[in-house]
Amino acid sequence: MKLYINGKEFEVAENLSVRLLIDNFKLDIKSTAVAVNKEIVPKSGYAGFILKEDDKVDLVSIAPGG
Amino acid sequence: MNNDAGNNNYLMDDGLKIGKYTFKSRLIVGTGKYPDFQIMKDSAIASGAEIITVAVRRIDFNAKDNMLSYIDLDRFTLLPNTAGCYTAEDAVNTLMLTRELEVFKTDLVKLEVIGDAKTLYPDNEELIKAAKILVKEGFTVMPYMMDDPVLAKKLEDIGCPVVMPLASPIGSGLGIRNPYNIKIIKETVSVPVIVDAGVGTASDACKTMELGVDGILINTAIAGANNPVKMALAMKQGVEAGRLAYLSGRIPMKLYAQASTQMEGIVF
Repeated sequence: MKLYINGKEFEVAENLSVRLLIDNFKLDIKSTAVAVNKEIVPKSGYAGFILKEDDKVDLVSIAPGG
Repeated sequence: MNNDAGNNNYLMDDGLKIGKYTFKSRLIVGTGKYPDFQIMKDSAIASGAEIITVAVRRIDFNAKDNMLSYIDLDRFTLLPNTAGCYTAEDAVNTLMLTRELEVFKTDLVKLEVIGDAKTLYPDNEELIKAAKILVKEGFTVMPYMMDDPVLAKKLEDIGCPVVMPLASPIGSGLGIRNPYNIKIIKETVSVPVIVDAGVGTASDACKTMELGVDGILINTAIAGANNPVKMALAMKQGVEAGRLAYLSGRIPMKLYAQASTQMEGIVF
């Protein structure tokens, strides 16, 4: 199915959880925050949150700033 | 540097208090615009800062280097900012994300809601709106604001345990453009005042601290210097010198000379 991750289109397997998505991108779970369709997904819900076709996913971390 | 006064009471300072937190250093530094992460790291260490600001952004999957591998989380408290947010809603949503990021070990947040791209001056209405929501949410809100005493009082009344007026526009290096307003803000609010933005060099930092403010937040003046690590140390010393001078109480200015050598016993 098609997902938009950080603004870019990605083709992923059906029934993908947020947890698995983070693993697929090899991201450190402690320094990654997730929003799906602009709604924040709490860490405790990563495994149970199943992504749907056309979901807009934001994978977020820290960046340089003042 | 050898400092004989280092271990005695002359340097006693009760530290920078921000809500329930206390820090020894009165200098907060940003992490933006450094030539590379190693220089960012070395500069942050040289500055003696305990708090460093960071942004919250989408992960760049093509990035060659990971900023986090250069930050010792036992040494530094990470302060998330809302740079680039133009509405209260965006600023609040950005900071809500930080609750899911374990690198943030406190509820300290730097709130900035920009009103104009050219000056990067804050939007007062949106700032107040966001501050109210974030205080209610339990964040320790550090608002970047205009050097406006009325606004400072409003933010204090909302529950911000610190106010952060600008010295001059972000990244301008113009130094403190209205020292009198900063002094009035310091007299108007009982919460600490941290001057955020506009400091250009160490003498600016020193003069700002001499006004009696509680701390300074600096990014561009360090990151953009030819030698950021040296400038970080200069800023540290500028902040410390200014604080000490303020605590010492300077002499009044006089129009005419006053001899510092006694006249009694003069030979010729």
